[in-house]
Amino acid sequence: MIATRRLLLLGSAAAAAAAWPGRHGTAQGTQQGTQDHAHPAPAAPAPRQPAPRDAYVYIGWPQDKQTVVGTRFKVWFGTRNFGVAPAGVTKVNTGHHHLIIDAPLPPPAEPIPNDRNHLHFGLGQTETMLELPPGTHTLQLVMGDAEHVQHDPPVVSKRITIEVRAARAPAVAAAAP
Amino acid sequence: MKPMRHLALAISLLSVAPMSSAQQHTMPENARVYILWPSDGQVVRGGFWVRMGLADAGVAPAGVEKANTGHHHLLVDVDLPPLDQEIPNDRNHLHFGLGQTEARLDLPPGKHTIQLLLGDENHVPHRPPLYSKRITVTVLPAGTP
Repeated sequence: MIATRRLLLLGSAAAAAAAWPGRHGTAQGTQQGTQDHAHPAPAAPAPRQPAPRDAYVYIGWPQDKQTVVGTRFKVWFGTRNFGVAPAGVTKVNTGHHHLIIDAPLPPPAEPIPNDRNHLHFGLGQTETMLELPPGTHTLQLVMGDAEHVQHDPPVVSKRITIEVRAARAPAVAAAAP
Repeated sequence: MKPMRHLALAISLLSVAPMSSAQQHTMPENARVYILWPSDGQVVRGGFWVRMGLADAGVAPAGVEKANTGHHHLLVDVDLPPLDQEIPNDRNHLHFGLGQTEARLDLPPGKHTIQLLLGDENHVPHRPPLYSKRITVTVLPAGTP
């Protein structure tokens, strides 16, 4: 009785192995694998993370066309139908903010540059204090995935224009609420 | 030899014990949680959006352990829960474990209080805890002029 049961077990194991060829003969599998990879498509960039169509980001503060008095001000990042996760964290429907200052949107399939025109918020920040010289500036938010690459479709805010004016007397500059 | 081994075991147990009670994460000293919108005392009509503010710290989804991050919990019409345990998950304690920073609330007409409380990857508040001011919002029926 026991013997037959063992035989049955063996039989089912063999059947399973046949059904999943990848699970037996590892050495053989890898050898075949390398052969298969001998002439694949040219090294393509990692696939971009998908984003839901209704996901969007916006700059909650300041507003488009606003005149900001004082060269140091807060920018608040809004995210809807999407979540925030620090850089390096891969989780569906999340990303981290990048603030683009006085620059066009970078190419979507490459990591977002990291310089004074492309600020990264890889800790998962949802606001920042900006310091900009007086004058006209543009601000735009774009989400990046764990590797700072934009999602597909990209989760991008409207590009807003603000006018930064030096505070008349910095000593009495009103604190932001 | 045997007593020595026992001693070593006792020491390792001792060194493990305090760690388990100090599991609450810290946050930067300046970190602050606040409700950006609505403001305290505001009157709204029907459903409204709550915008959650976090200064000098980051947002990370539930389950992600990373220093100086947490995720938002919105307490509706309820006092702060015990601050050394997992935040309850019910209609008075809303979790935003995906890392959301805003939420649409539909509350029955009347006066309500809302308050934010940040939790770590296990929904446990930080030490010291990061919570916003508890604000009052008056909700008017959606249809009335």
